[in-house]
Formats: sequence, C-alpha cells, structure tokens
Amino acid sequence: MSSTLTTNKTQEFVSHIAENKLAVWNELTAIRESGLEALAQLEFPTTRDEYWKYSRTTKITKNHYHFNPIASANIDLSEVRIEGLDAYEIVMVNGFFNEELSSLPKTDVLEVKSFEECTTEELTAYFSQNLDTMSNFFSALNTAYFSEGIMIIAKGVCDKPIHLIHYSEGEKVISQPRNLFVTKKNAELSIIKSSVNKNTADFFYNSVNEFFIGENSHMNYYVIQNYEEGINVMSTNVATQEKNSTFSAFNYTLKGDWIRNNTNVFVKGEHCESNLYGAYQPKEKQHIDNHTIMDHMMPNCESNEQYKGTVADKATGVFNGKVFVRKDAQKINAFQSNNNILLSDDATMNSKPELEIYADDVKCSHGSTSGQLDEEAVFYLQSRGLSKESATALLIGAFLGEVVEKIKIPELKEKVLGMYGME
Amino acid sequence: MISIKNLHASIDGKEILKGINLEVKAGEVHAIMGPNGSGKSTLSSVLAGNEDYEITEGSVDFMGEDLLEYSTEERARMGIFLAFQYPIEIPGVSNMNFLRTAINETRESKGEEPIAAKEFLAMVKEKSALVELDNSLLKRYVNEGFSGGEKKRNEIFQMAMLEPKLAILDETDSGLDIDALKIVSHGVNTLKNKDNATVVITHYQRLLDYIVPDFVHVLYKGKIVKSGTKELALELEEKGYDWIKEEVNA
Repeated sequence: MSSTLTTNKTQEFVSHIAENKLAVWNELTAIRESGLEALAQLEFPTTRDEYWKYSRTTKITKNHYHFNPIASANIDLSEVRIEGLDAYEIVMVNGFFNEELSSLPKTDVLEVKSFEECTTEELTAYFSQNLDTMSNFFSALNTAYFSEGIMIIAKGVCDKPIHLIHYSEGEKVISQPRNLFVTKKNAELSIIKSSVNKNTADFFYNSVNEFFIGENSHMNYYVIQNYEEGINVMSTNVATQEKNSTFSAFNYTLKGDWIRNNTNVFVKGEHCESNLYGAYQPKEKQHIDNHTIMDHMMPNCESNEQYKGTVADKATGVFNGKVFVRKDAQKINAFQSNNNILLSDDATMNSKPELEIYADDVKCSHGSTSGQLDEEAVFYLQSRGLSKESATALLIGAFLGEVVEKIKIPELKEKVLGMYGME
Repeated sequence: MISIKNLHASIDGKEILKGINLEVKAGEVHAIMGPNGSGKSTLSSVLAGNEDYEITEGSVDFMGEDLLEYSTEERARMGIFLAFQYPIEIPGVSNMNFLRTAINETRESKGEEPIAAKEFLAMVKEKSALVELDNSLLKRYVNEGFSGGEKKRNEIFQMAMLEPKLAILDETDSGLDIDALKIVSHGVNTLKNKDNATVVITHYQRLLDYIVPDFVHVLYKGKIVKSGTKELALELEEKGYDWIKEEVNA
C-alpha cells in the first residue's frame, strides 16, 4: 500500500516536469530512462527517511515546475566575477548552457563541450558512471530530466581555472543542469562555481555534478553559494578518484533560503588525497544542509574533512558526514570535524558524524562540537574599544576563516574573505 | 581623574564589593593590595564594565562622566584600560588586525579619521620595542600559544598602543620572572606622565620595587581597610595580611 502511495506521489510530482520538452539524443535516451527507473524505485523523500530527516522537502515537492531557457538580454554577472582573476567562463541560464555569455578555452589541454558534441565513447565512459549517482531521489530526477549540461575534460595542466556561473530567474521554474568534469592522467584543473539569482520565486535548482579524477591528476572544486530569496537549492556532487589523485571540494555558503548539498567522494585507487571543506552561516529562517560521504575503497589514502558553521536567529544548520573505510582498505588516514557556533537561543544545529570502518589498520578521527561564542573573548575585545558587533564579527570571522584560508587561489580567497566580512 | 564612592557590586547574588572609596588623580600611581578573595579582580572587572557583575550601590566618576552609564567599549574609548590577569587567547584573530580595529573604532567614535597604515606600523614598531615584544608575535593570533610573560608584555604593548588615561593592571606581575617583571615595569613607567594615572593591583610587594606607587591601599572583604604610602607595602610584605585582618575583625 505504502509503495503505491510513494509511486503516486512521485508520479504526481514528476508528471508536470515530464510535460516539458527536453533535448534528446540517442546516447542519452538510455540514461534518461535509467533515471526514470531509479525514480520509480526510490522512496518519495520525507523526513521519515533518515537521509531527509532534518531537511523537509515539502516546500520543493509541493510545486509544479516548468523549464525556462530564458534569453540573455538583461543578465548581469558582474557581482560574482573575481577581481584580478583570469578565468574561462561558462554560463548556464536556468540550467541551459549559454554560449553567448561564456568565454570558452581555445586550447587542446582543456575541452569544454555540450553533450551533443561529445562522442558516444565519452558519454558512455562518464555520464552517470559515478557510483551512487542515482541513490537519491533528486539526483535520479536530474538524470531523468536534466535540462542541459556540459562535459569538461582536462588533458593536462590547465593554465586558468574555469568559472562556472549559474544564473537563475523566474517563478516555479526548475533548473536541472548536469555537468561532468574529467581530469585525465596527470591533468590539473580548478573549477569555481558561482550563482546569481534574480526575481526568483519557488525556483527549484537541482544540479548534479560528476567528477572523474584520473590517475595522478588534481582537481579543485570551489562552490560559492550566495543566493537571494526565492530559490531552493539541491546540489549533488559525486566524485570518483583513481590512484595517486587529489580531489578537493570547498563549499562556502553565505546565504540561501533552503540549501542541501550532497558531496560524495569514492576513492577507487591507492595513494589518493581527498579534502572536503565547508563553511556556512545560516541566518533568519534559512536552512543549510551539508551531507557528505567519504568512501575509502582502497588502501593507503588520506582524507581531510572540515565543516564549520555559525547559526543565527531562527536558522537551521545540518551536517551529516559519513566516512566509510572498506574491508582491505588498510592504512587509511581519515579525519573529519564539524564545529558550530550557535548565535541565538532559537538557532538549531543538527550534526551527525558517522564512521563505518571495516579495515583494522587505519587512523580515523571524527569530532563534532556545537557551542556558543566565547563571551570572555568578546569582553576582552570590547575592553580594547571594539563594539560588541565588531568583536562578534571578528570572532566569527576567525572561526569560519580557518576554512576560507584553505582556498588556494589568492584572488578567490580574497573575494570570499570579503564576502564573510573578513580582511 | 577617577572618583569611586561607596561602590557595591555582586555576582550571582553574592556581594563582593562592599563600599569601595577611592580617589585617583592624574599623574598618580596607586597600588591595591590584599589577600586572595578580597575583591581586587572584581574591582578591575567592574571598572572595565564586565556585565557579569551587578552594581547595587555607589558611583564612579571618571573625568566628569558617570562611568557606570557606559558600555565596556565606550569606557575603553574614554581612556580606561584593563591589563588582564589572564589575557584571553583568540585563535584566528591576528594581533595586528585586532589592534588596528581597536584604534580605528576608538578614532571613529571621536569623529577622527582611521589611522594611516604607515603611521600604524611605525607606532607598532616603537611600542613593541618598549616591552621587547618580538615582531613574530605581533603577526600571530592574539595571545595564542604565547608564554605567560609574552601575554603580559602583549597587554602592556596594547596599553602603549591605546594610550589610556587610566590603566588598571590586574596582577600583571603574577607568573612573571624577574627579567619579565623588569621589562613590563619599564614599559609601564615609560608610559606614565602627568596626564594619566595607573592603578596597580597586586598580591606581592615585589612589583612595587619597579613600579613605585604614590599610594598603597589594602582591600579586604570588599572594602579598602587601610591606605598609606609605599612603606605600607613593605610592612605588608614583612608582616603578611594577618594583622590587617585582625584589625578589621576586631
């Protein structure tokens, strides 16, 4: 009985999305169908499901959405551009690639192409080939009904980072970009993802990014989330690492009504390094949720995970970090921490670190703290002439700054520090 | 400069200060001594505006203003400086950033322009030399990983940078070896002039060999029970506090 209900709910939600005409290519038909099959199997997300326990999705699933590849006439992206940084720009508007607004690389080292331009081999090698791409309802939804996407393949050390800018606009619009990032053997690539939203209401942004980090390659993925009102953000990132590779994901959430980030890393080769960093500062009634999976499948690897947040007013923060160390994945160093400061009595933080270790020769640690601002430190700063507001800001900056300091691109670091009000 | 009259203060319903009277004039150095638990640190916290304490009675006049009406930061900007007995470590906030913010907010409150970078650096160089504070410490986070002596020197360095009217040194000598004590005292003495005043809170007479007070007061059970000149400190060093306690309790 309940499974029928689930299916009905799914059908009800999906039927409106299915009315939209989306591009179809032969190679992708099977992929879209696999997404539909997954959707039919998956439970409709409710808070009864552990994965969605702290993040109610009703405000997303109650709406009927349409796709809208709007024209680019009045799009201003200047606020997210990074001063002094020379980067390739890829602009997507409501989930559709916009070549006119983009400045693409003209180099053999770095290929950026639409799925139409991809070879069958490239698509079958990567699209939905990451483990766990479709284990959650919304990434399956993206697989079935992705709006458009691009394939980025780095074949060597890239001279400039890619700045991927997502622009969102409209009411009850759904945007489902699907992007694939590949670093081939010995390649190096940094990607910065920024977002701009204007005049959004009940907008649903549901992206899936897949990362393939080839042998001895390095990939850095920076995400800056600074959303105006009216947009609910579901962002799923799934990465697979081959041997001797390094993958680092940095997530900086400044503001957003409702954000859920799923960042899952599967390490399939030995001698890899994985870094997951995040800072968030929900205020007012915002809801910011970070779910991560760090899956060590092979021995001799290292992972570092650090998420820090301040929760103010009536806002809610969620952190759920799972670390798996599979059987035979010996000599793993896995470190995870989540630290939170609650700035008001009405603020909520749900923090759940989880370790599942099936190997016996590993070094793993995890820790979670949630506390208040150090009042003695506030008094100390005030006694030197700082106002309570700037003393508080300075201490918050120091707390979150530790994660911002991890950014390896100086111009970006400066911009993000500035966004958090630090210098 | 400051006139404290019948000051009563309590914390969590417990009265610690039970009627303090103290008058400090510009150019003077006052020492406040007393046994543990007599209320010395409470007095300094109350003057700095620590809101953990409740003022139940009395008044504090600071340069013609009702000090108790002002917030901690306003008092600091008016020229009150408290050198902490236990300076707080603040990871993530650099000493320099902290001091520049402190100076600029004080300037802003007086309608002045922010300090120029060059002027600030010159000032840092001069004042840090005064307490022999290593440059590398200035770039580090506030007090984080500093030794006890370095923390106290950092307090006096901050004092030198902020140029207060009234400096209250709360047990600044505690935990200092004789060399560090000399450095800190030298700093304090150099900053002394006819327009400012210093209140030295200490348990031991030793510090007063280096920072010579004009007046010495004994605080006991929340009151100043005896006042005198520097000779009183020597007498306390020699005889301890028992005779004072006996006099009071008699």
